[in-house]
Amino acid sequence: MSEKPNSATATKNGITITTTAEDHLIAWLAALAIAIHIIESVLPSPLPGVKPGLANVITIAVFILYGWRTAVWVSMLRVLVGSILIGTFLSPTFMLSFSGAVASLIVLWLASRLPGEGLGPIGLCLITAMAHMFGQFYTAYLLFIPHDGLFKLLPLLMTAAVVFGIISGIIVRSMLLHLEKRKNNTTASATAQRNEQEE
Amino acid sequence: MTRADYCAVLFATLLLPYLYINQWTGDEAGISAAIMNGSETTEISLAHDHTLEINGALGTSIIKIEDGKIRFVASPCLGKQCIHSGWLEHAGEFAACLPNRISVAVLGEEPRFDSINF
Repeated sequence: MSEKPNSATATKNGITITTTAEDHLIAWLAALAIAIHIIESVLPSPLPGVKPGLANVITIAVFILYGWRTAVWVSMLRVLVGSILIGTFLSPTFMLSFSGAVASLIVLWLASRLPGEGLGPIGLCLITAMAHMFGQFYTAYLLFIPHDGLFKLLPLLMTAAVVFGIISGIIVRSMLLHLEKRKNNTTASATAQRNEQEE
Repeated sequence: MTRADYCAVLFATLLLPYLYINQWTGDEAGISAAIMNGSETTEISLAHDHTLEINGALGTSIIKIEDGKIRFVASPCLGKQCIHSGWLEHAGEFAACLPNRISVAVLGEEPRFDSINF
C-alpha cells in the first residue's frame, strides 16, 4: 500500500478511525454497485443464474479508472453487503455470487497483465461476464447439483453471459466517454463523478 | 475496440457453438435400466429386446425394451405421464408412473447422484 495505512486510535471518548481519500472513493463506488446489485435481485429471471449483471459495469469502470486493487474492494464489498441486505448471506445464492466475483477478478487481474493496449471496456466486460458464469456454474456443480445434467444448461447460460457481457461493455464505454467529456468541462474529475452519481 | 477486444469477441463466438455441440449432442448411451416397483429395484440390461409386464399398486404396467431404448407402453394410471415420457436411451433419463409406483431410470457406466440437498 503506497498511502498511509488506516489507523484506529482508542481515546477516552471512544474509538476514532481515520479514513483516507481512497476509502471514501471505494465506499462511494461500492454503494453504487450495491444499489444496482439489489435492484437487479428483484428482477425476475427466466433461468436460475441468468442476470444482466449490471453491477459488473461499476467493477469494470473502476478497474479502468482506478486499477485492479480498487476493483477488488468494490466487487467484494458489493457481494458481501449486497447479500447481507438481501438476506442471502452465506446461502447458496451468496456462494454463487461470491465465486463468480472471484473468478471474474482473477480474469481481470490476468487482463491487467496483457501487453500492449490490452482490452477495452467491451472485451473486459465480456471476459469477466464469462468468467463469472464459469465460476458460479462450477460452484453450483461441485457444491449443490453434482449431476452431469447440469452441463445441458451451460450453453444457454454462457450465451446469456456473452450477450449481457457485451451490453454492459457498451454501457461502460459510453459511461467512460461521458465522464471524459465532463472531465474536460470541469477540471476536478472527482466532483464530476460525484455529480454523475447524484443524477 | 482494441485488437484484444476483437480476440475476446472472437473467442466468445467460437466458444458458444462448441458448447452447444459438445453439451447437447452425443450423450452417453444407456447400458441398463433400474426398474423400481414400490421399494423393490431390479436392474435390467438394455441389450436384448423384450417386453416386461410389471404388477404395481394399481395394475399392470407394460414396459418395452428395443434397440437399447426403454419406454412405458401401457400403464393403468390416469395422466399417462410415464407413456408421454417416450423412449429413454441416455444415461440419467428417467420416467415414472407415480400412481402405479413404478419408475424406470436409465443407467450408464458410472452411476451418479441425482442431487444432493443440505
